[in-house]
Amino acid sequence: MESQSIAFNADLLRRYDRPGPRYTSYPTAPQFHPGFGERELRDAAATSNGDPIPRRLSLYVHVPFCASPCFYCGCNRIITRDTSRGEAYLARLYREIALTAGLFDRDRAVIQLHFGGGTPNFLSPTQLGAVVETLHGHFRFSDSQDRDISIELDPRFVNADDIATLALIGFNRASFGVQDFDPAVQQAVNRIQSVEQTRAVVDACRAHGFRSVNVDLIYGLPGQTAEGFGRTLDIVAGMRPDRVAVYGYAHMPHLFKPQKQIDDCLLPSGETKLALLQLAIEKLVAAGYLYIGMDHFALPDDELALAQARGGLHRNFMGYTTHADSDLLGLGVSAISHVGDSFSQNPRDLPSWQAALDEGRLPVFRGMRLDDDDQLRADLIQQLMCQGEVPMAAMERRYAIDFASYFATALERLAPLVEDGLVRIEERRISVTSRGRLLLRNIAMCFDRYLDQPATIATPRFSRAI
Amino acid sequence: MHGDAMSGGVAFPRQDKRTLADDGNELRFCSTCAFSQACLDQGMDKRALMDLHVLVEHIGPFHAGDHLFREGDPFEAIAAVRAGTVKTYVVDRDGHEHVLGFHLPGEVIGLNAIDGDTYPCNAVALDTVMLCRFSFPKIAVLATRLPGLQRQLFRLLSRDIGRAALLAGDWSADQRMAAFLVGLSRRLAARGFSATRFQLTMARTDIANYLRLAPETVSRVLRRFQEEGRLVVDRRELEFLDAPALEALAAPVLRD
Repeated sequence: MESQSIAFNADLLRRYDRPGPRYTSYPTAPQFHPGFGERELRDAAATSNGDPIPRRLSLYVHVPFCASPCFYCGCNRIITRDTSRGEAYLARLYREIALTAGLFDRDRAVIQLHFGGGTPNFLSPTQLGAVVETLHGHFRFSDSQDRDISIELDPRFVNADDIATLALIGFNRASFGVQDFDPAVQQAVNRIQSVEQTRAVVDACRAHGFRSVNVDLIYGLPGQTAEGFGRTLDIVAGMRPDRVAVYGYAHMPHLFKPQKQIDDCLLPSGETKLALLQLAIEKLVAAGYLYIGMDHFALPDDELALAQARGGLHRNFMGYTTHADSDLLGLGVSAISHVGDSFSQNPRDLPSWQAALDEGRLPVFRGMRLDDDDQLRADLIQQLMCQGEVPMAAMERRYAIDFASYFATALERLAPLVEDGLVRIEERRISVTSRGRLLLRNIAMCFDRYLDQPATIATPRFSRAI
Repeated sequence: MHGDAMSGGVAFPRQDKRTLADDGNELRFCSTCAFSQACLDQGMDKRALMDLHVLVEHIGPFHAGDHLFREGDPFEAIAAVRAGTVKTYVVDRDGHEHVLGFHLPGEVIGLNAIDGDTYPCNAVALDTVMLCRFSFPKIAVLATRLPGLQRQLFRLLSRDIGRAALLAGDWSADQRMAAFLVGLSRRLAARGFSATRFQLTMARTDIANYLRLAPETVSRVLRRFQEEGRLVVDRRELEFLDAPALEALAAPVLRD
């Protein structure tokens, strides 16, 4: 990668702004099929136990509830203020934990536990503590230095005392949703939160020894202006979170119902959106953040940046991670697992997930087994998204292929991107240039076998690149 | 320098032109045949064998978990592995499995049945397996007429016995593991596969059972080998980084 630099070229970004997957997995979720069920997941787990050094485990717990609807949201969530729903959910979750833990050999240590949502802090710190304790009862947690327990927190519903409790439970990483501090934008997306509120919890994480704090921002929201977003960026950079994610808002109300409440007229134009992105990059880079890839920035001493520098960065459903060599178990409604050479997903609706667990079944509703070609391309896309290169020579050797003939179609599709200077084809590798770094997904799309299938292109399942 | 340049060949069980069994034809033996050279040395081609009613047939593919024969099945044939890995094992009175061995391309299964009327063990495919079957009574009769074939049969038998004896000694976990890996590497290299990169097609529990170690010990030893820079493991794939160190560790077991 060209010394972490990004060249911002509005004309290029405009031309390449087309729908595409975010490659938190390859193949992407639309390829999962109902033929992959409970039995297939059991087989995949058994096979993974058979590895000579079985991988460590990463656990993801999905908490689907939110007390208040944010209009931009495309996540799987349930709006309720009825906190008793949390208890009912946990009862099922514990069943799932017991069922799932039984699939894995006991000597496979948990290296990462992440709570996502929804709003994980819809659950009280006490409830979250009970979940962690239950997991401890069923899995062996690694005592390694780099074991992480992380959580996505809504700053509006958590305070400094809660953070202290979470630290005692073992949480050591937190991610806060901010999006934009501009009051007009907060009004338009139905998410009012103050700078003070946010600063207080970020500071509390520091005080209680959290290893890292992440802040999420979104550009392209209704009512957003360069001036307002610029102020937000300055405030956020001033808080010095270790990581900052800047997501592009994907307005797809046909897919995500809550977005119907957003007034189309308030959405910034494509031009403004690009300007907002450019502003974010300039301000964060000026504040000392490194661009990791896709939507992510990190301070140079953050583990993501260090991992990228030594080639140990990985990407999964939780975004970028340093825990490359683990099998991922998703727990809770809609959660996705990646075990061995398989992906699998729990039902996206609460009743189906509950019903499966009430019958004592693993709640898998779809998934897939990766064939040799899938695995090869997944590896390639992973290296592209994380290291900004495709090590052709190493891949030829590893997979016993002739790169040029195996990827003839992909290289053909890549040709215009080479022409536009997004990637450079060298003797032993393809490397992403500073111009191409913001268009990683477009580069990856060239190697996606499933995008050849017209059905996938016809239905706009994916958000646009920018 | 490591990998192809040094060892040549593709990483088992991937196939390339050199390792893919040439299926032969009516007159030619297939390239993986354990007996072809012995027969050809005697001036006998496949047609000549057919004339003697020696049944040579390709069977498969078998898939992971398929049994090729079970203990007690009537013994009719021995078979050469053309592709994949076969595990042989017995189950004791208490229901515990004991792994007898792993059979790679070019190796023969069923040899330990020669003494009786039934197979004394089970054989199961660990991945996609292709076999070449020889009706046994016929080939035994033929062996009495072809000294070269008989020598080859004896050679295969003694190799089978020798391998089983390897792990009987009082060796450390490190030595057992190194001997197992170096042994696999040599056997695969003999078939044209890479000697330094291959997949462990057998599960951790099978390796542990075969080496008489706990599964956790298999992982612990491999992890340590990895930390010491002797090899690198990624899921089932394994690569030697310091083959001489592993060879040295394995030498007393392998009686090099």
